[in-house]
Amino acid sequence: MFNRDTWLEIANTVLSNPMRTFLTGLSIALGVFILVVMQGLGFGLQNGVQNQFSDDAVNSIWVDAGRTQLAYRGHLPNRQVKMRNSDVDAMFDQMDTVHAYSRRVRIWDVVMEHEDHQSNFPIRGVDPDHLMLENTTLTDGRYISSRDVAEETKVTVLGATIVEDLYEGIDPIGTYLLIGGVQFRVVGTFDDPASRWENKMAYLPFTTAQNIFRSNDKVDQIILGTGDMPIADTRVLSDALLSWFKDRKVVHPDDARGVRIENNNEEYERFQNIFLGIELFIWGLGLLTLLAGAVGVANILAIAVKERTKEIGVRKALGASSISVVGLVVQESLALMIVSGSAGLITGVGLLEAVSPMIDHEYFKNPQVDFRIALVALVILTVVGVVSGIGPALRAVRIKPVEALRDE
Amino acid sequence: MEWYLRGVIKLNNIGKSYVTGSQKLEVLKGLTCTIKKGEMVAIMGSSGSGKSTLLNILGLLDSFDTGEYLLSGKSMSGLNERAAAKYRSKLLGFVFQSFNLIGFKTALENVALPLYYQSVPRKKRNVIAMDYLKKVGLEDWAAHLPNQMSGGQKQRVAIARALVAQPKVILADEPTGALDSVTSSDVMKLLREINADGITMIIVTHEHDIAALCDRTIHLVDGLIDLT
Repeated sequence: MFNRDTWLEIANTVLSNPMRTFLTGLSIALGVFILVVMQGLGFGLQNGVQNQFSDDAVNSIWVDAGRTQLAYRGHLPNRQVKMRNSDVDAMFDQMDTVHAYSRRVRIWDVVMEHEDHQSNFPIRGVDPDHLMLENTTLTDGRYISSRDVAEETKVTVLGATIVEDLYEGIDPIGTYLLIGGVQFRVVGTFDDPASRWENKMAYLPFTTAQNIFRSNDKVDQIILGTGDMPIADTRVLSDALLSWFKDRKVVHPDDARGVRIENNNEEYERFQNIFLGIELFIWGLGLLTLLAGAVGVANILAIAVKERTKEIGVRKALGASSISVVGLVVQESLALMIVSGSAGLITGVGLLEAVSPMIDHEYFKNPQVDFRIALVALVILTVVGVVSGIGPALRAVRIKPVEALRDE
Repeated sequence: MEWYLRGVIKLNNIGKSYVTGSQKLEVLKGLTCTIKKGEMVAIMGSSGSGKSTLLNILGLLDSFDTGEYLLSGKSMSGLNERAAAKYRSKLLGFVFQSFNLIGFKTALENVALPLYYQSVPRKKRNVIAMDYLKKVGLEDWAAHLPNQMSGGQKQRVAIARALVAQPKVILADEPTGALDSVTSSDVMKLLREINADGITMIIVTHEHDIAALCDRTIHLVDGLIDLT
């Protein structure tokens, strides 16, 4: 069935009917093209929104110390509550499981020097889980490791802004940077697309930062990842932590500022729902486009076959079996679908690739399409097209040639 | 029995009816006739007399309900689609009123098409097709598309196409219906020449002039042969 002669016959038929071929091909190519572009735009929107809200997209509990509002047990109000290493250790002792955590200290305006470039930036001491909890994107090298924290190594991971200001195109990985007069080896660089602020930071191992730049045991902030803990449980946990901390730091139970705990699990869930909504939207859009494309393709193939009733009658009278005629029509539409569908696919993907670098909007990033999804769409369109061609072809061969060929 | 075997077409009590909704329409009501090898026969009849149905059955393009049809000595009863196509391609050639050349194929490609369905290699079938175009005097028109030709030329291409697979029988459905009288007589002359080579010719027509050029005429009236 698939010999050279058959293909020559198909090529002959297809090329001898340029208008019909062009229209069918165009409708198929357009269907696939629109599908690909729609999917790409949808993904662009998804990427953009996810990027924009990535800071809030990590389910976590934040513990902060501040100034008290209320007098309590002999303490005057407006007292700065100090969270110390011992408090953090005691807190961990109280907890059954800790999914992920990071202590943080921040020091403002530290002089940083690399060769003849010098500028002031803030630094932040962090634990390894901070990468995930802050939703940081490493652009090169590695992050602070637990060994760095345990051994107080003098390494740093630099934000994009620092790299831009101090390095001017030189690869910073492996170089040494003077931070507050102390030499640090740069082991990684990062980009936090959702926060310009973070990009001005140099991340240091928590212990190193605390010892060199604080010389005390104060902790500014603790972030606890809650993993897949149900929302109700995270509420119980944050309430328990709050009262435990207030009790330990002698803060009035009604004091809203002395110890603050923020549980972003509810926001996290809200954003997860938004992301899910966008994803469903993209899929809905894709399926509807696919449906529209399939209907269009089915329609034009049905018309094309109808138009060929007479030719089919002639072929039958000249010795063609019904099967060979249906086979011819089906193979023809198959060839057409594959060629024009691929053209649509390539054009669509090409357009997205070409346009993608030019688009950098807050809510729109990296419009791209999953090539596998596009291929599956092409296969579905092809199957729909072929199946929809078979019906009219079968009907056409069932017509008695002498009647089909008679002039009315 | 000898005359019986010599007949290239033998119809014995052929019956055919169509069911449309609740109505049953009897088109052929027991048709019996023999057409001998090398005969040139005209079939005449008013519309609704069963001419088309008979032509369809003779051309193996439709089945029949009752009776027996022997073509070249073989029974054509209960043929499946594939076998019918095989016999059509080996034994039968068709010529139509409106020529029915495939518009997007050249004269040569049109003539070669039946050979394509017999799986003759492309080069060989083009050579054979060219021979038959010569036979109908159109070798110079081989590369032309049908819409670049006159009616008579188109019908001659169609006749070449009907001949190319060397059929035993040619079925012609109003072959001169779309032609003027001069061209008509040319085409009839050509058909006569072909018939002289021993190919049986069955011509459906409503023109008495055309029927008069045949060996004999079968008149169909209401699904039966009118013997009067």
